[in-house]
Amino acid sequence: MSAFPSVPFEAPSVARATASAVRRRLSGDYDVDEWGLDPDLISTFDPLFALRWSIRVVGTENLPTIGGALLVFNRRLGISEPWVVARGVRQATGRFVRTVGAPDHAPVGPVLRRFGGVLDRPDEVSGLLGAGQLVGMPMGRDVINREHAGALHVARVRAAIDRGCPVVPVAAVGRELGREWKLVIGAPVAPRRKAGPLAAAELVEATRAAVQLQLDDGQSASWWW
Amino acid sequence: MRVLVTGMGGELGTRVVNLFEHDDSVTEICGIDAYPPRRRIHRVSFHRIDPVDRRRTVAVVREFDPEVIVHLGVYEPNARLAGAAAQRGTAASAVSVLGAASSCPSLRSIVVRSGIEVYGRGRGSVSRPDETVAVRPTSPFGNSLALVERVAREAAQAADVPVSFIRCAPIVGPSFPSPVGRYLRLPVVAVNPLAELPFSLLHQEDAAHAFVAAAAAAHDGPLNVCGTGAVTASQAVRIGRRVPLPVMGPGWWWASKAAELLGAPLPPHAQQMLVRGGVADSDRGRAVLGVEPRATRDVIEQLYRWEPVAMVSAAERRAS
Repeated sequence: MSAFPSVPFEAPSVARATASAVRRRLSGDYDVDEWGLDPDLISTFDPLFALRWSIRVVGTENLPTIGGALLVFNRRLGISEPWVVARGVRQATGRFVRTVGAPDHAPVGPVLRRFGGVLDRPDEVSGLLGAGQLVGMPMGRDVINREHAGALHVARVRAAIDRGCPVVPVAAVGRELGREWKLVIGAPVAPRRKAGPLAAAELVEATRAAVQLQLDDGQSASWWW
Repeated sequence: MRVLVTGMGGELGTRVVNLFEHDDSVTEICGIDAYPPRRRIHRVSFHRIDPVDRRRTVAVVREFDPEVIVHLGVYEPNARLAGAAAQRGTAASAVSVLGAASSCPSLRSIVVRSGIEVYGRGRGSVSRPDETVAVRPTSPFGNSLALVERVAREAAQAADVPVSFIRCAPIVGPSFPSPVGRYLRLPVVAVNPLAELPFSLLHQEDAAHAFVAAAAAAHDGPLNVCGTGAVTASQAVRIGRRVPLPVMGPGWWWASKAAELLGAPLPPHAQQMLVRGGVADSDRGRAVLGVEPRATRDVIEQLYRWEPVAMVSAAERRAS
C-alpha cells in the first residue's frame, strides 16, 4: 500500500476550459449569430483579453439591460478603445457590444466579426438597434490630444433617432501601450426635439459634450503624454 | 377560392398543393409544371407544360381564371436544371404565367417565390438586410429572382392586385433538390475558414407553410422568410461530421470543379453564400405570415440525419 493518499488529479481549469472549447469547435457545437459574432470564441479568448487590458467600469447603471442602444465612445489611435469598450461593457453587464468599423475584406473582416465587429453602414446599425443590440460607435480619431473627444457626424446617430434608441456617451480613458483602462459610462442623452433636422444635430452636440465632460473628469493629470 | 400553383411538380410545389387540398376554403386547384408531381394529389387538375411553351401556359391560366396565383415556377441553378436552362425556364415561366394572370378577371392576389439572393453579397453590402434594402443581385440566380419580381410587379399593377414576394433563404431539406444541401453532404467539403460569414437556411416544410399563409394574407410587398439563427460553412461541415478542406482564392475554382465531378455542382449564388454569408431580417415575414421557421442549425442537423423513408401501405393509409 502506498504511503501517499490517493488524490484525484484535476487538470487546471484553464486547460480544461481550453480542451472543452477545442472539442466544441471540432464538433461544430457552438453558436454564431447572424452578424457573425461568436460568443464561444470570445469566451475562449477572454483570459488573453484580461492579460492585455485591465478595465474599471464606472456608471454601469446607465446601460440598458435590455433593448438596443448606441454607445458613442472616444478614440485616440482607435486600436485598444473598441476592444476596451466591448470587454468593459461585457464584464459589467454580460451584454455583447457590436463595434462599428470592421472592414469587409478577408481575412480581417470576418475575424473581427467573430468578436463583434460590424460594417460602418447606417442600415447595418439600424438593423442591429432594431434587433435590440448594443452598438459601439467610435467618434473621430484625435491622435494628438488624449483628452479631446473627436468629431461625431450627424449621420452616425441617425439610426438611433429613427429607432428611438438611447444614445449613451462613453469615455475610454487609458494609454494605447498601457494595461490600465477606465470606462466612464454616462447617462443616456435624450434628444431635445422629437424630430426634424435639428434634433440630430442637437443630439450629436449634446453627446459629444457629454463624452468630453466624462473624459475631463475621468483622466488623471499626466506630465508625460 | 381558386388557386393556381405553378412549379407544382417540384417538392415544394407538390407540398404546397397538398396543404391547399386540406384547406376547405380552397375550392379548386390547378397546377402547372414541366415535371409530374412528386406526391399523390387528390383534387388538383395538373397540366404538364414546358415553361417555354407560352401558348399552352397562357391558355390554361386564362381558362382556369384563378383568384390567387402562387408562382413557384422558379428554377434554382443546379437544383434540377443546369444554370442556363434554369435561368431560361424561370424567365419564360414568369413572363407567360404572370403575363396571362394580369388579364384574369377574378384575380385577387399573387404570391411569388423569390429569395434573399436578390439582395446580393457585394463588398460592403449590409449583413442582415430587411425588406427595405434595395435589390442588388450579384449572382445569376439573384438576377433571375429580381426579374421574376419585376414581372410580377408589372402584372400586379396591370391587374390592380397585391403581390407578395416571399424572399426565402436557401430551401434545404432531406428530400429537397438543393445545390447547397448536396454540396454540404459531400464527404470532403471545401470551406474558407478565414473568410466565411454566417448564412441562414429554410426548411422545405416551413417554406411550404409560408407560401400557403401568404396566399391567405394577400400582403403587398416583399417578405423575408429565413430560419432563425445562422451557421458558417465550417460549422455546418463539423456538425455533419464531414472533412473540411480549407480553400482560398483561386482554389475555389478547383473545388467547384471537383464538386461537380462528384455530382454536387456549386452554382455562383451557393458559393457566395458559403463564403460571403447570406442572412436576412425575417421579423416582418414572421409577423405577417404567422409562420415560425425552425432554426438553421436544426435544418443542418436534419440534412445530415438521412432519415429513412417510411413506406406506408394502402391498407395502413386507409386505416389512418
